[in-house]
Amino acid sequence: MIRVRALSKEFGMRDNGAGVLALSDIDFEVNDNEFVTIIGPSGCGKTTLLRIIAGLIPYDQGEVAIDGRAVTGPGPERAVVFQNFALLPWADVLANITFGLEVRGTPMDECQDTARHLIKLVGLEGFEKRLPKELSGGMQQRVGLARALAVNPRILLMDEPFGALDEQTRRLLQEQLLLLWEEQRKTVVFVTHSMDEAVMLGDRVMLMTPRPGRVKEMIDVPLQRPRSPQVEKSSAFVEIKEYLWENLRAMQVGES
Amino acid sequence: MKQQAIAKAAGKSSATPTVGKFRILRRFARENAPEVLALLGGAALWEFLGWSLGLQWLPPFSKVMEALAQFVGSGVILANLGSSLRGLIVGFSLALILGLVLGSLMGRYRHVEKALDIYVHALFVCPSIVFAPVFFAIFGLSDMARIAIIVVYAMFVMVINTATAIRTVDPSLVEMARSFGCGEAQIFGRILLPAALPLVFAGIRLGVGRAVKGMINGEMLIAFVGLGALAQRYGAQFDAAKVFAIAMVVLIIGLVSNALVQMLDNRLTRWAG
Repeated sequence: MIRVRALSKEFGMRDNGAGVLALSDIDFEVNDNEFVTIIGPSGCGKTTLLRIIAGLIPYDQGEVAIDGRAVTGPGPERAVVFQNFALLPWADVLANITFGLEVRGTPMDECQDTARHLIKLVGLEGFEKRLPKELSGGMQQRVGLARALAVNPRILLMDEPFGALDEQTRRLLQEQLLLLWEEQRKTVVFVTHSMDEAVMLGDRVMLMTPRPGRVKEMIDVPLQRPRSPQVEKSSAFVEIKEYLWENLRAMQVGES
Repeated sequence: MKQQAIAKAAGKSSATPTVGKFRILRRFARENAPEVLALLGGAALWEFLGWSLGLQWLPPFSKVMEALAQFVGSGVILANLGSSLRGLIVGFSLALILGLVLGSLMGRYRHVEKALDIYVHALFVCPSIVFAPVFFAIFGLSDMARIAIIVVYAMFVMVINTATAIRTVDPSLVEMARSFGCGEAQIFGRILLPAALPLVFAGIRLGVGRAVKGMINGEMLIAFVGLGALAQRYGAQFDAAKVFAIAMVVLIIGLVSNALVQMLDNRLTRWAG
């Protein structure tokens, strides 16, 4: 379980002592095997929050704990999928996927076995020897996902993973992620700026407000699992999306 | 860039199995026609001017080649070449190691960069030859003196380039590595160095060129051995053909060492092309 209590984070102390308050008094929990999506306008600190949970940046006040243990840095139970994929441009698909295993000293043949299994799982067969620049954006993020899954984390932290992809690719990857999640039921925290994506994927949607970033509301998504793309036509889906839009609209009106 | 593209094209084509001897020659002629023509044209112009102007400092190209042939035949060049190359290899290797280590530290750690930047840039801009008397005083007429000269000639451009290369590595790659639990040593070995390699090689190429310059200057000014000393001696005798012949040898050393670095670069950083 991920528990965040009274979390605050300030950025860039200026000379006059004034920093920018990125996150203020954040409180929420993510249960084991739960899929929580985080949505909010830009500047609401959703990516900052994810990076804090990942242990990539420190926080100023409050508490961030995983299974009761305070987060002080990255840990083997967590893996991150990045918005810009963050693939090694000199390494082929196979080597990119085994990166996390290799740095933890896993024997080479074990790395290869895991990677081959994941390559099949994310549909990259035949592309093992390709370099990232020879792949489409969608395929690159499949590599990013496979690399995260390779270290078999209990918690998957996804930072707008499909944000850089075109609409069609994004929907295909969403469907694949849903299938994968049904199989593995990992705990997922998924940051997005797409309302469709937030509702389609999440068990709950966390709505954040900007400047400073706060949790506005946790919204339950009472849609049945496994979810098919058809779910978008259900009244519950449309209602929640409408509700998100009303809120996001109110936040962004006057700012754009 | 163009050279690289040609080298790459050539590398690719040699992989095709059914290339006959003449097709290789023909392809070479086609791909390198501008270079070959430029060299032939330059030699012809040199020959013409040499004969028609009759200047003492501009002997015709054929006379220079004649002097070169004599040098090679008598073994003079070979003896001095060995001495020069030893200095070059040792000096350049030291400069390379120092350049990579200092450059990496400066590129990664802001405090190191702030502390060393002023020195590195000052020494880079300063004509390295002003250190010749200092090294002469320290090391005397030894190999160490000319090796030290080569090091100061070649090192700083590699420090600066390596620092820039490391500093400009995509920070998201470093963050990715940290998310998988990489420590500083792994971040260096698995992310920063490989990512910086293309730019580091650009610096190494400049460094090699400067090392050759340092070799000759050092030999001419402090340690009177090697090709530089030879050039110095014939220069004092106003024997232009022999001086040009030595310059040719130096030119070839420069071109060959540059080609070696280029080859290594092409092998190691193919991904960046």
